[in-house]
Amino acid sequence: MKRTKQLNRREFLAGAAAGAAAMSFPYLVPSGVLAARGRTGVNERLTMAHIGVGGMGGYHLRDMVKRRDRGEVNIAAVCDIDEKRLAGVVKTAGAGVQPYRDYRYILERKDIDAVVIATPDHWHGVQMVHAAECGKHVYVEKPACCTIEEGKAMVAAAKENKVSVQVGSQGRSQPEAYLAHRYLVNGNIGHISRVDCFHYPSPEDNNPVPDSEPPAELDWDMWLGPLRWRPYNKRYCHGVFRWLLESGGGQIRDRGAHVMSCAMWWMGADGTGPVTIKATGTAPKKGLWDSAVLMDVTYTFKDPDWVLTWRQMPHEKLPPAEKRTGKEPGGRISRPGYGAIYRGDKGEFIHWGGDGGTWAEKKAREWQLPAGGKDVYKSPGHKEDWLKGIKTGARTIMNIEAAVGVANLCILGNLSYMLDRELKWNQDKQEIVGDDQARRMMSRPQRHPYHL
Amino acid sequence: MSNNKLTKGALTAVAAGVMAGTANAAENKAVDKLIAKIKDKSDKVRAEAWLGAGEVGAPAVRPLAAVMRDKELEVARAAKRGLWKIVRYVGRRGKGDEKRAVIAELVVLLGDDQPAPVRREVLWMLSEIARTKSIEPIAALLSNEELREDARMVLQRIPGRRSLAALRAGLKAAPKDFKINIAQSLRQRGVRVRGLPCVKLVPTKKTNVKPVK
Repeated sequence: MKRTKQLNRREFLAGAAAGAAAMSFPYLVPSGVLAARGRTGVNERLTMAHIGVGGMGGYHLRDMVKRRDRGEVNIAAVCDIDEKRLAGVVKTAGAGVQPYRDYRYILERKDIDAVVIATPDHWHGVQMVHAAECGKHVYVEKPACCTIEEGKAMVAAAKENKVSVQVGSQGRSQPEAYLAHRYLVNGNIGHISRVDCFHYPSPEDNNPVPDSEPPAELDWDMWLGPLRWRPYNKRYCHGVFRWLLESGGGQIRDRGAHVMSCAMWWMGADGTGPVTIKATGTAPKKGLWDSAVLMDVTYTFKDPDWVLTWRQMPHEKLPPAEKRTGKEPGGRISRPGYGAIYRGDKGEFIHWGGDGGTWAEKKAREWQLPAGGKDVYKSPGHKEDWLKGIKTGARTIMNIEAAVGVANLCILGNLSYMLDRELKWNQDKQEIVGDDQARRMMSRPQRHPYHL
Repeated sequence: MSNNKLTKGALTAVAAGVMAGTANAAENKAVDKLIAKIKDKSDKVRAEAWLGAGEVGAPAVRPLAAVMRDKELEVARAAKRGLWKIVRYVGRRGKGDEKRAVIAELVVLLGDDQPAPVRREVLWMLSEIARTKSIEPIAALLSNEELREDARMVLQRIPGRRSLAALRAGLKAAPKDFKINIAQSLRQRGVRVRGLPCVKLVPTKKTNVKPVK
């Protein structure tokens, strides 16, 4: 699908609105005011805004408040479609932070350099593209996108507008992820031909309720945003949006965007994609949630040939977690229910977690890089890596191209599950081959005016 | 024609009639069984039913749509999921005849006699499998205030010249407040639209929350 840019009109609107808004409350001077567009200038204190402040969004805001208190950034605005939640986080954010319900007011403000987007998945693509089109750098929660076409638009928007984008698959930035990566690329388990990701099941909606009027504090229209309209149901939000295929995609699009992110990074497979995807799964027996409870997805890669699998399995079938004393730098494994087993021709390697907690098997932690060994990029921290990207133009560790590649794995797995058949994927053309219905499902038309 | 041939022809016709009757009876039996299970009190039985609905196909479309209006929340939900299973089953390669039959049944469900939630769901089912012949009844819903936004998005998704032509015609006929929506679909389909600027970046919703002083 083609997109038409409305640059002149947009710039006019943005300028006019910002001018009008500036009269109502004080604005911060954007850090890039004396620099090239998209890069920081002499004032290196970036000005941030947060879009979506529940769940992970709340974490990001609290983290950013600490950075502000250390004098590293300014926080100019917070946005949420739940007025109660917004009223609460305004207090966390403190004086001088403007609250908004509609994120587009934030995008109009020229004093804001960057936005942190932590809305439900179905908003990620639209808001990231809009922010990029308004010249904002973006940290957007994972998964990057919900459809193949959204992903393409996100990559294009970041490139055309020269903004730095970091996607929140922060597993890549964890200390033990670096150790695991280094261990694997130095051939310690030989040639790896298979990576088996494991995860406990998605939950079932055991407390279904009928549709109802939305609570007064919630802007249901804006929560839905790009999704087709439907009546409010309490089991859509908050928090539980994850268990719906449209808005959250289940465990595969949640933790899959972490665990498979590590796999693609460590296998040197960013920029590549599978040729076939075959998924099976068990559906919830009742309730609104429709993502697979148990799931088994096989991705076949060619040139080089390897297989990636994603399995949601009963708790009792999960591999046992490594025993730790708790004195290790990463502490005890607090999330043993997901991770991946790497199978090489000289041995196997396992890690647990893959998100903010990533734990590598002892042999990788104890392994020392020999002289002449191959070192790998060590992230200074996921946000630090993003801030570095903003200031220097360096490619972020979970840049939008890589993140869309990982999100596509999740999307294709769910599509294969929904259609109950194998799919064929053309990585060069970024499209499904030979299946008219699946091809139509590569995009999902979006409700006006919440569209790419 | 000889008497022999006549007799043969008559026998063939009778046999065909019997076979068709048998097939219909088998279909009816499968549909009845499906609907009975969809209405069952057990979550497990209902789930087994909707998961296996795909192969029952077109004959089950209207009965399932009727159950989508059931007052029991989970029964109505199971019927909807059964319908979706049928749509995804006939979307496979090599299911041309079955797909055509399902599309024909779905199009019937776009009629005024169906409640809006059923018609809306059916529109999205058609978005995945509809062919050119279904464009007209979908496009007709561009003038239905309750369903026009869904109809627009569905037409946007269906590839081909007919859906594009329907969107163009819809733009001409649309009331002022809806033209901008159709213009967006046309842009997504690669058409340049003048005089109806995109408003996607224009904020509209104000908060009542005040900043901390």
